[in-house]
Amino acid sequence: MENILSVKGIKKSFGGVHALKGVDLEIKKGETHCLAGENGCGKSTIIKIISGFYKPDEGTVEVEGKDYPVMTPTDAIRAGIQVIYQDFSIFPNLTVIENLAFNQVLATGKKMVNKKEFRKIAEDAIAKINFDVDLNALVETLPVADKQLIAISRALLDNAKLIIMDEPTTALTKKEVRRLFEIIEDLKKNGITILFVSHKLDEVFEISDSITILRNGENVISCSTSEMTEEKFAFYMTGRNFDNKELVENKKTEHGEVVLETVNLSAEGYENISFKLHKGEILGITGQLGSGRTELSLSLFGLNKPTSGKIIIEGNKVNIKDVTTAEKLGIALVPEDRLTEGLFLSQSIIRNITVTRMDALSNKIGILNSKDVVRESAKWVEELGVATKNHEFPVGTLSGGNQQKVVLARWLANNPKVLILNGPTVGVDIGAKYDIHKLLRKLASEGMAIIVVSDDTAEVVATCDSAIVMHGGHVKGILENEDLNEAKLAEAAV
Amino acid sequence: MKRIRKIDDNVFRLIIILITFLLIAGITKGGTFMKPSIFQTMGKQLAEYGLMSIGCGICMISGGIDLSCVYIANLCGIIAGLSMQKSGSSIIVAILISLLVGAACGAFNGFLVSYLRIPAMLATLGSYQLFQGISVVLSGGSSVSGIPDTYTSLGTLTIIGIPFAFIMFLLVVLIMTFIMSKTTFGTKVYLVGTNAKCAIFAGIKNNTIIIKTYMLSGLIAAVAGLLSLARINSAKADFGTSYTMQCILIAVLGGVNPNGGFGSIPGIAIAVLILQMLSSYLNTFPDISNYYRDLIWGVALIGVLIINFVINKKKTARLAKMS
Amino acid sequence: MNTLKNKMNKYVKQTEFWVFLIILVLSLIIQGRSGAFFANNNLVDIARSMICPSIYAICALLAFVSTGPDVSFPLIAALSSYISIMIAYKTNFDGPWFVIFLVGMVFGALMGALNGFIIVKYKFPSLIVTLGTSSIFSGILLGAFEAERMDLPETLQRFGKLTLLAVKNEKTGLGSSLPMTFLILVVLYIIAYLILNYTLVGRGVYAIGGDEISAERAGFSVGKIRFGIFVINGMIAAIAGLSYSVMSMRYLPTEYAGGEMVVIAAIILGGTRLTGGVGTLKGCILGTLLLTMVTNSLILVGISVYWQKVFIGGIIIIGTAIPALQTYLNKKKKEVKAGEAA
Repeated sequence: MENILSVKGIKKSFGGVHALKGVDLEIKKGETHCLAGENGCGKSTIIKIISGFYKPDEGTVEVEGKDYPVMTPTDAIRAGIQVIYQDFSIFPNLTVIENLAFNQVLATGKKMVNKKEFRKIAEDAIAKINFDVDLNALVETLPVADKQLIAISRALLDNAKLIIMDEPTTALTKKEVRRLFEIIEDLKKNGITILFVSHKLDEVFEISDSITILRNGENVISCSTSEMTEEKFAFYMTGRNFDNKELVENKKTEHGEVVLETVNLSAEGYENISFKLHKGEILGITGQLGSGRTELSLSLFGLNKPTSGKIIIEGNKVNIKDVTTAEKLGIALVPEDRLTEGLFLSQSIIRNITVTRMDALSNKIGILNSKDVVRESAKWVEELGVATKNHEFPVGTLSGGNQQKVVLARWLANNPKVLILNGPTVGVDIGAKYDIHKLLRKLASEGMAIIVVSDDTAEVVATCDSAIVMHGGHVKGILENEDLNEAKLAEAAV
Repeated sequence: MKRIRKIDDNVFRLIIILITFLLIAGITKGGTFMKPSIFQTMGKQLAEYGLMSIGCGICMISGGIDLSCVYIANLCGIIAGLSMQKSGSSIIVAILISLLVGAACGAFNGFLVSYLRIPAMLATLGSYQLFQGISVVLSGGSSVSGIPDTYTSLGTLTIIGIPFAFIMFLLVVLIMTFIMSKTTFGTKVYLVGTNAKCAIFAGIKNNTIIIKTYMLSGLIAAVAGLLSLARINSAKADFGTSYTMQCILIAVLGGVNPNGGFGSIPGIAIAVLILQMLSSYLNTFPDISNYYRDLIWGVALIGVLIINFVINKKKTARLAKMS
Repeated sequence: MNTLKNKMNKYVKQTEFWVFLIILVLSLIIQGRSGAFFANNNLVDIARSMICPSIYAICALLAFVSTGPDVSFPLIAALSSYISIMIAYKTNFDGPWFVIFLVGMVFGALMGALNGFIIVKYKFPSLIVTLGTSSIFSGILLGAFEAERMDLPETLQRFGKLTLLAVKNEKTGLGSSLPMTFLILVVLYIIAYLILNYTLVGRGVYAIGGDEISAERAGFSVGKIRFGIFVINGMIAAIAGLSYSVMSMRYLPTEYAGGEMVVIAAIILGGTRLTGGVGTLKGCILGTLLLTMVTNSLILVGISVYWQKVFIGGIIIIGTAIPALQTYLNKKKKEVKAGEAA
């Protein structure tokens, strides 16, 4: 079979940083090809080059045998290349019609709006994937899955030949992922080639015909999916070998006294939740979209006020009315989104680490002891091994893994009794993920009680001693010991 | 090396500009510029808008803006003036009332911004109309005068040759520098301004911090209002309306990031000095209209923005390479 | 039936609908208390007072929807009017009035281009940039040109004397007239409406306000559109500035500055979203009408003009608190959901 896309020896650097060091990518017509690699491996750079947004420093891009020395975004679209971005690239403030029609109308160079034409384009677009939506609705009022379907149907216009999907499943629920995969299968039948960019192992194995893995801006391997195994995949992505056995073996069934307990707790998003968390235990709270897991964790941190029920900490009923109270009670929460909720990106590492310790590092009238501040920060940088030359540098200059360590340091600095991690490894590389799981186990063995809120069943199985499965705001089951496996989790979640 | 780095780059640059400018002024105008009386006038003139720039500056650091400081100052001036007129004797009480009103106006702004979530620009846009309106109602639309001499003497008072107003300015600069750089409150203001959502997750009570920030701004504005009452012997609802823009301008020139999270009080203070010196210098040329200041300030603002942009771009690139 | 209900629902959700309702209720109250609100001369007076703020409102709308606040339009108006009037004097021009308007628009466009260039090239916040350029324009106007109040050239005076509609209140004997500049307002709104709704560039204004990166990927020239908006804003400001002089029969250099804040408040009340992407011309008119009405009608209901600013401030605060709270609550709900999804 001939190649629809053939990219050879692409080099690209930004201000002295080599993002791509000679990358090749060959995609056969009609296949679903997976491009995998950890964050920062150069995946997004190569996509931008293929779609014409970046100009490579060296190397060639061929589409259907035709060489494109200078590829512009318009060239790419004319050649039949469409990209579906992770953020879907939509206009929340405009109607579905306009979102669907803009690309095509603009590509033809038209200047006027013809409402009939717009509607026709939009109707054709959604018909292609049997997508049912109110065309006059504003996109911001639609659910996430619909937004993605808009992005997909828009890409199918213009007789697309190669569709690039950049991490398409990030914001989707399991059910929506199924739907997406069905659509991909359909597209494949219609002869459309898909480049599926992902670092999620199970998805890659399920959907793709062949795989290319990048690491640090270089090719590591290209092969058909059948030749790949899960262990090899992880190894190629990270260059390291992982063994989850050690984690699993360290699990404990015996725990200390109860640290935190909820009794018939209800709030917006969930109802009637009772569970006990012991010293040294790692408890998973898992469930799908809308299951109430995030809301429950926020209630424990004073960010979602309970409407009824009790929270008991070390035998005392408590009213966690805000974050400060939660902190005083020894509860810490690592939020899900590191970049928008976890870190003050442009502020120094020192400030990021010591923010929760300010009261302890100052005197009665709130004057900070700057020496203590620096010392505290240095201690944690050392303890967690944050790789940095200067603590005054903004956190934003650190790599993703080191940033995550800073977030963790901030909460560990408060020496919490209960550590809640919401999606602790979302968007984190396999390597860093493994490190974090190991760290959690270590903390638990030192007596900390930990709650891992996650929809990643593999993660829950690997790290947690027991798990609460939630669905629609209710507890569907509590799994422990041998019962805690992926099959049982999936079963309980429905 | 580490010691030197303590002064941040921006303040350092501003100091260099200040010194260069003093040299140029000294060389070109010599005796007519470099004399105490000119510096005394400058000290008096800069205090009012200098104070308001600091108030506006801390609001900008917290991620907002305060367009109402001028009108809070006027309102406080009018209230102080009126109460001095009525109860001739108790100047102290009048001052206290006026400071209280300033803080209350600021707290009101803070309430609008934090609890009601009105974007700061709009909230203070609305509240300035409100404060100005109250001033008009209280003063009956004319200027409040008849201020006791004991009070107005503050306007001409000098201590070892330094005008009282300038001393007040310096005092506020020192206090605010300390608050913003050495206290938990100050640090929290920076963090809230950097990322409000993240601040909530870090256990910062954003609403309290924001209210306190605007309250401080209101309080400082009240001080400015009291100083201007002493200087010009009267207060008026629409006095110094052009100061609003100047305050924002000075804050940005002084290195405050309009998006919040960055900026220093010494930076703002030095920017005030530079601008006052610039305009006093221009005043020594009889044929240059006072209005040229606007032109120069505008150019300076955009020039500084562009310079900071270029420097920051280089700095981030360097830091990224280093780590 | 169902579609009617849907349509009603859609209207009820729009801010414009509520502003309209408030205007209606308020006008009835004023009518009830004074009996003079719906008098022909009062209505014409309101229409007359709305002309300049409504033209400015287009500038504010375009800037807010696509980029962010523009506060430079009053000074662009002042400076471009001054230059075009001076040119008319220097050349002893006595041709048609619109030539002077065109000259003013050219200079307005140049000043707008300065804004646009800095904002597009450096991506600075538009508020700060336009504050800076305002200061520059003010310096040029009052410093370099030493502009002072002056009479208008003959041709503009003639234009100013033309009236579209003159009414006289039979009861009170008070008269009022609607100047020709009202037509300029109408024409501008029609053009703006057509461009914003029926051209791709017009839709692009909304698209880049909704999501800049998406707009670029879709094929809109974000930089060009943004630059264009500020150039056009300059031109519209020039028109507003000259209209203002024509209506006051004199050129008053210091009367312009400070008008920006009330205009911005008006369009925000009219439903323009501060974060961009949303806002309509209908909203501009309604918001401006509301504020003008309040300003003009205080005397009618026997409240001293001293209270004017208090009322305007109050309306701005209440008017902005409601949508701000609404969007916050919606966003919070969405965030919780999105948090679950990720």
